[in-house]
Amino acid sequence: MAMGFQEQKKPDYRPMFFSMADEWKDIESDESIFEFSVKSSDTSLTTEIEHQVRLLSNSLGEPRLFFSEIETSVCADGECKLANIKVYWNLLGNYVGYGTYDKYPLTKFEHDPFEKADYQKLHKLLLDDNSVLKRRKMSDLIDKIPVSLSNINSKDLDGISGATKKEIKESVVKGGLYSCYTIWHLVHGDAKKKIRKNLETIGADDLKEYFLYSLYKDYQIYGLKQLSQADFRVHSKQIVSIFKSTNALTRTYILKKLPTDLYSEKEITNQLYTMFPGVDLNSKTLLINKLEFAAPDAIEILAGFLDNMTKNQLKHYLKYLEENTLRITNTMKRNLRKVSKDKNYAHSYLIDAFLKTNK
Amino acid sequence: MKYLSEKIMKKITWLTSICTVLIFNQLIGQQNVLIEAESFIDKGGWVVDQQFVEQMGSSYIMAHGMGVPVSNASTQITFNNKGNYHVWARTKNWVPGNWDAPGQFKILINGKPLKHNLGLTPEWGWEYAGKVKIKSSHVDIQLADLTGFNGRCDAIYFSKSKTPPTNSKSELATWRKTKLGEATSPETQKTYDLVITGGGLAGCAAAIASAEQGLKVALIHDRPVLGGNASEEIRVHTLGIYGKYERILKMIDTKHYPNGSSEAKYDQEKRDRNVKSFKNIDLFLNWRAYDAVSENNTIQYVDARHTSTGERIRFTAPRFVDSTGDGWIGFWAGAEFSYGRESADTYGEAWEEWGELWSPEEADNFVMGSSVLWQNEKTEDVHEFPQLPWAIDVAKEHKAIAGEWYWEFTRNDLHQIHDAEDIRDHMLRAIFGSFANAKKLEENKNYKLQWVSYLVGKRESRRLIGDHVYTFNDVKNHTKFEDAVVEEIREVDVHYQKHLKDEAIPDFLSKAIYYQTEKYYVPYRSLYSKNINNLFMAGRNFSCSHIGLGGPRVMLTTGQMGAAVGLAAVICKKYDINPRAVYTKHLQEYLDLIEKQK
Repeated sequence: MAMGFQEQKKPDYRPMFFSMADEWKDIESDESIFEFSVKSSDTSLTTEIEHQVRLLSNSLGEPRLFFSEIETSVCADGECKLANIKVYWNLLGNYVGYGTYDKYPLTKFEHDPFEKADYQKLHKLLLDDNSVLKRRKMSDLIDKIPVSLSNINSKDLDGISGATKKEIKESVVKGGLYSCYTIWHLVHGDAKKKIRKNLETIGADDLKEYFLYSLYKDYQIYGLKQLSQADFRVHSKQIVSIFKSTNALTRTYILKKLPTDLYSEKEITNQLYTMFPGVDLNSKTLLINKLEFAAPDAIEILAGFLDNMTKNQLKHYLKYLEENTLRITNTMKRNLRKVSKDKNYAHSYLIDAFLKTNK
Repeated sequence: MKYLSEKIMKKITWLTSICTVLIFNQLIGQQNVLIEAESFIDKGGWVVDQQFVEQMGSSYIMAHGMGVPVSNASTQITFNNKGNYHVWARTKNWVPGNWDAPGQFKILINGKPLKHNLGLTPEWGWEYAGKVKIKSSHVDIQLADLTGFNGRCDAIYFSKSKTPPTNSKSELATWRKTKLGEATSPETQKTYDLVITGGGLAGCAAAIASAEQGLKVALIHDRPVLGGNASEEIRVHTLGIYGKYERILKMIDTKHYPNGSSEAKYDQEKRDRNVKSFKNIDLFLNWRAYDAVSENNTIQYVDARHTSTGERIRFTAPRFVDSTGDGWIGFWAGAEFSYGRESADTYGEAWEEWGELWSPEEADNFVMGSSVLWQNEKTEDVHEFPQLPWAIDVAKEHKAIAGEWYWEFTRNDLHQIHDAEDIRDHMLRAIFGSFANAKKLEENKNYKLQWVSYLVGKRESRRLIGDHVYTFNDVKNHTKFEDAVVEEIREVDVHYQKHLKDEAIPDFLSKAIYYQTEKYYVPYRSLYSKNINNLFMAGRNFSCSHIGLGGPRVMLTTGQMGAAVGLAAVICKKYDINPRAVYTKHLQEYLDLIEKQK
C-alpha cells in the first residue's frame, strides 16, 4: 500500500555515508513501494521480518533513491541484538549509502559499539556488490576466520580457502563479522532484485536520459544499453564525454556499439582518438582495431601516440600502415622515425624494422 | 609398465649426444654446427620450457632462479674440424626497455667465456656471442646465468662464416631441419588403440579408463610429471565432484590444499605412480605433439617430439583424444573450434546483473586469463631481494608475498595461446615486482621466494566444437541429457579483470562472478568432434561456449570427461565405430559401462 509523504512525519534522511552527490537533500516525496522479507538470524524465532522499501523523489517529482529503515537482529553465539540502519539504493538497486540512529549504534562482538573507522569499513564493504560474503553461509564463516592477518602465511593456510579467509578478514569490521554479514545480505538480497524489477513501474523510459547524463558509472552504462542506433547520434556529445571519464568496461562497450556511420565522422573520430594516451589498454586495442571504420585523421593522430601502444597494438597499427602506405604522411614518417629511436619505448625496434622494410 | 624411466631417458640423452656428434661430423664440411640448448646433457639449474614451441619454434632452456643465478648448463661436443668459429645464441630480452635486460647469460667454451653477454635483443633471434678458436676435438660448452631472472636460450650456432643464421620465422624451421639433418617424417612409428595427447587430469583419466578395459594406450605429455594444472609444477588443487568415476579420479586428484602449496608433491607422486602402474599405458613424458594429419576428416597420425632430445615418434591409432587444453590436435587436424566470448544472444547467455562482464552484447576475444602461482618461505634469516625497474610497470605499487588463483592475466590484445609467453612473462614481472615492493617493508625481511611457477596455468583457450555445444542454459535448465556422462554441482564461475571497473587496481588481478546452481550435466555429444570423425576431446577444450566453460572447467569435472571418453573409446573398439556411433547406436551399453565404474 502506497503511503504519501504528507501523511507521515518527514524522516531524517541524513546518511552517514553516501556515494552519490547530494540526492538525499532534496526529497519531497516518500512513498512505500514494496516490502521484502528476510529470515531472522535469531534461531529462536522462525518468523521472517518484513522491511519496507520506499521511493524517494525530489521536488520536481523525479524518483531519485530507494530507502529503507531497517531493524534487524544480529546474532552471535545464540545471543542476538538489534541493529538499526537506514539504507539507500540508487534507482538501479545498487547500494549507495547508509545511516544510523544516534540512539542505536551498530555493535561488534560482545556488543562493543562500532568505532568511526568501523562504520567507514562497513560502507566500503556494502559498496562491493561482489563481496566475498556473497556466496557464503554464516555457518561457513564461524570459527574459520583467522584471528589476525599475521596468521596468514604460506605455512598455516589450512586448505579450504586461504585466499577467501584473507579476503573476508580484510573486508569486514574486526569483531563485527555478524553485523557485516547480516547487513550485506540485507542490502544485496531481495530488496535489490525487487528495485530492479520495479524500475519499469517508476517510469524507466522517462529516466533514460537522466541515466545517460548522470555522473554515475552504473547509470551511464545502463543508459547506454538502452540506446537505439539512432539514439547514439542524438546523444553523441554525451557519449564522447562519458568515454573520456568512465572506466574500461564502459569505454569498451561504447567502442563496440558506436554505429559505423557515426564512428567515421571526422569530429567523433578526432575526439575519440585524441584521447588515446589517457584511456585504458583494452580501449586502445579497440581504437586500433577499428581504424578502418574511423575517419582518415585517426591514423595520423595515432602516429603521435606510438609510444603508448603495447607490442601487439603497435604490430596491428604498423600492419594497418603497411596496407595503407598511401596514407602515410610526412608528419607520420617523422613521428615513426623519432619513436624508432626512443630508448624509453620498449617496442621501438618494431618501428625501426617497419621503416627499414617500408622506405 | 612401459614408460620412459630415468634410466632409459639417460640412455636416450647419451644416444642423442652420439647422434649429435654424428651430425657434426657430417656438418664439419659445412663448417657450422647447431646445438639445441634443450639437448644439453647437464641442464644445471636451467629448466626446459616447451610451452611456446608453436610460436617461437622450439623448446628452450631458461634460468628460472627467482633472482639467484642458477648453476651452469653444460654439454660436451666433439669437433673434428679445428679452427676459428663465430658463435651465436638464439635468445631474447624478455623485458625490453630502458634498463639492464633482466635475463642475461654468457656462453663458456672450455671454461672461457665468450665476449658478449646474451639475452639483450627484443624478440627471439640470434645474438652474437663472440669468436672462439677450437683447438681440440673435445669441446665443453656451458651456459652461465648472470642474473637469476629468466634468461633463456633456444640454440647455439657455431660457424666459420660471420654470416648470422636466419631470423625469419618462416625460414628458420626449414633451416633448423637442414642443420640437424632431420627427415620429413619421424624415424619411429608406434601404433595403439587410442592415442591421448595431454596428460592433465582429463588425459590421465582417459588413459586409465580405457586401459582398465584392455585398450593399448599411448599417453603423450610434454612435461616430466602428470596432472597439468594440478601438477606440482602449477599447483592448482582439483575442484568439482567425482560423478560416476570416483575410483578412477581418486588415483589422480589432489587434496584441497591452498593453490600454490608444496603439498602438491604428495599428490604428484600418487598420480604418477598410479598411471605408471598400468601395463597397457605407454607413457611418453616430455614428449610434445607438434602435428596431427587427417585425411577424409579422419586423423591418420599424431607426431610428437621429445622436448629435450628432439627425437620424434609418429603415433597412429584408429582414434585419438585431444586433452591438450589448447585443442592442438583438433586444430592441426582441421577440427572446427571456437575462441573468445560469444555475444550474449548467440546462445542466450545474458545475465543482466553482470552485463558485459558476464556475456558481452558483441562477441570479443576477452576470455578468462591464465595464472602463474607462487609461494614464499619465512625463515630465521633476513633475505635481500633486489628492486627491479623492469617489473615496476606491471607491479606498480602492489605488494604481495604470495599468489593465489586470482593472480590472473588476460587482455584483449593478447591471445591465450599465441601470446602465452608474453602472458607468462607479464605474470613473472607482476610476481617479482610485487614481491620486491613487499620486501621494502620491515615485516617481510625474513621472507624469500620459495617457488614461482614458470608454467602458464590456463583457464580458457580453444574450444573444439562437438555435436553439442555446452552452454549456460544447460546449467540453468539442469538438462538431463539422455547421454549425460559428466555431472557437476559446482557453481559456474567466470572471471573478469578487476581493473576493468577500477583502473587503479593492477591489471593482473581478477575477480570471479559465481552462479549458484543445482546439479548439471554434460552430454557425451560435447566430447567428440563435430567434423573430425575419430577425435574425442576432454578437458577445457571440450565443446562449449565461453560461459558454458565456466562451470565444468575445473579438474575433477574435466577428469570425468576424460574417463567418459576413455570408456567411449572401448565401445568404439568393440564395434569398430567412430565416437558419434557410440551415441547413435550403442548409448545404453556405453552408459551401462559407465555405471560399472563406481
